[in-house]
Amino acid sequence: MTTASRRQHTLEVLVENSPGVLARVAGLFSRRAFNIDSLNVGPTQDPTISKMVIVVGVEGHSLEQVIAQLDKLISVISIKEVLIGSKPEVISTQPDYQN
Amino acid sequence: MATHVPTANGTAMTGATALVKSLEAAGVEVMFGLPGGAILPAYDPIYDSTIRHILVRHEQGAGHAATGYAQVSGRAGVCIATSGPGATNLVTPLMDASMDSVPLVAITGQVPSAAIGTDAFQEADIRGITMPFTKHNYLVTDPAEIAGAIAEAFHIATTGRPGPVLVDIAKDALQKMTTFNWPTSINLAGYKPKTTPNAQAITDAAVLIAQSSKPVFYVGGGVIKANAAAELRALVELLGAPVVTTLMARGAFPDSHPLHMGMPGMHGTVAAVTALQKADLLITLGARFDDRVTGKLSTFAPNAKILHADIDPAEIGKNRHADVAVVGDIRETMAALAPALKAALAKNKPDLTAWLKQMNSLKSTYPLGFDIPEDGSLSPQLVIQRLGQISGTDTIFTAGVGQHQMWASQFISYEHPRTWLNSGGAGTMGYGVPAAMGAKVAAPDSTVWAIDGDGCFQMTNQELVTCALNNIPIKVAIINNESLGMVRQWQTLFYDSRYSNTSLDSKRVPNFPMLAESMGCVGLACDRPEDLDKTIEKAMSINDQPVVVDFRVHRDAMVWPMVAAGTSNDEILIARATAPDWDSQEL
Repeated sequence: MTTASRRQHTLEVLVENSPGVLARVAGLFSRRAFNIDSLNVGPTQDPTISKMVIVVGVEGHSLEQVIAQLDKLISVISIKEVLIGSKPEVISTQPDYQN
Repeated sequence: MATHVPTANGTAMTGATALVKSLEAAGVEVMFGLPGGAILPAYDPIYDSTIRHILVRHEQGAGHAATGYAQVSGRAGVCIATSGPGATNLVTPLMDASMDSVPLVAITGQVPSAAIGTDAFQEADIRGITMPFTKHNYLVTDPAEIAGAIAEAFHIATTGRPGPVLVDIAKDALQKMTTFNWPTSINLAGYKPKTTPNAQAITDAAVLIAQSSKPVFYVGGGVIKANAAAELRALVELLGAPVVTTLMARGAFPDSHPLHMGMPGMHGTVAAVTALQKADLLITLGARFDDRVTGKLSTFAPNAKILHADIDPAEIGKNRHADVAVVGDIRETMAALAPALKAALAKNKPDLTAWLKQMNSLKSTYPLGFDIPEDGSLSPQLVIQRLGQISGTDTIFTAGVGQHQMWASQFISYEHPRTWLNSGGAGTMGYGVPAAMGAKVAAPDSTVWAIDGDGCFQMTNQELVTCALNNIPIKVAIINNESLGMVRQWQTLFYDSRYSNTSLDSKRVPNFPMLAESMGCVGLACDRPEDLDKTIEKAMSINDQPVVVDFRVHRDAMVWPMVAAGTSNDEILIARATAPDWDSQEL
């Protein structure tokens, strides 16, 4: 893969603040051979919910597949893609499989 | 699920009693398990429960039995084990259930919460171990959370795409007192499976179908999970297109139906494999483009557009791009698609006559078949074919994994859903006997045959003791070719007949009928074709004890057709070095 075919995406993922959640997310990326370039976890105003910011290097898989697999984790509440660059605000890109 | 409030709600009790009350509230009638130290507190209230607990001889047997029970009943199967090795013995059945989307709830005991992380006696991080192949799992250390975790486990296991859920409970949580509080509703922020298909997607699907000229229904196990056989048949007959049913979908559509081309994939029929390869549209229903179906993915169904309907959004586009995707319960999807398709066909009904003629020509030219051994020995395929014919289409068949499994999928005619149970995705040798035990518990009035290999049988036959002692009279047909037959077949074809470690000598040791008798079963043997029918009939006549028949078969029989691993479906062979005569087919 050339660097040109490898694209970075930043995902903002809200998860349950419960033991083992980080292992669930990290394990999913590992076993499905998705690439994590960086991962940060922090609290939110709601103590039951944590926020992960994951920079994903997509090669060989579609971003949609990464998001869909992540969304299957019961502990994952929502996923948004953060578009860095021209638009500073967060834009929801929850995959819409319903055309 | 979780709709009625149990009378015990609000009562003080131990966590262990709360666990059992929760299982009762979830509607559990039977569970398969084996006690040990960490789970021992739960076994005291189990002693008084209305739930039937079947004491297995190995936890793997409990897991596969729960799977067999679930596959036949459509309800969640339940297994229970202690910590450490008890829990890790459930790992294979959990992975198996995950691959085949089986609703399973596994309960395990864990060491006391203060000891977690200290390498305590019989401590294993079973939650960590099972994360990759459970739909979700729990570690409960607070007795107040037991009821909620069990309620969620059944909800998650049985809704959306079904799957296994494990609940690991620390011993002290079982021992401490709590107030029982079974939830009346379940609200999981991160779990809202979408069951109703999008209306626009249904319309698009109908239009795509009406525009096709070579459509094929590619039917997967999801159709059986969703109890959608009637909706499938209605849809198929509306369009009049050929159907293929995958290994997990055998029985979803009657084998006797003229539009059925058989099973696709590595050991599929020429007609089914070719239908997919030559189609211009795959109407994919609850199937997942598994490598054993697609062969080399880049050459799979090269001219076909893909309509993909599945409950799991992550299956859409995973292996093959979908031109139209419909996410939802497959039964609801087909029920909605039928009127939409009817309307679309009224405007534009494709003429499928030529396409069907081609497929029927392949079906009649290349039926499944086998050679009878010239030396007068028993043909394994004939044994399996006669088992199907003599025991009838209401019989439930389970299989292990290997040649006998493929022959059982090929040479038995499946007419009804939930009559064929096997380990499709995981390929778990040893699945057959315990799965048959679970199937027989779910359907005690049905005849249940486990078709097993001599290799598979030696992995899990200890559960015949469980069957004999618990009045679970299953029947087992050992297809004894004294080999790890499928591996041996690959050695014949790809390793120059160098039979490294595939000979089991199972015609010498063990003596299967004697082994069966020692476990409280009736043991029979058959090695001559002329004795075949009367041996099967003898086995069919015994219904108060498990029966094991040692069918001593020809060793060199092979499974055909075959698409070799990693090759294209176009390279299907009907016998060694023999391709279909494509030139004579108008494709």
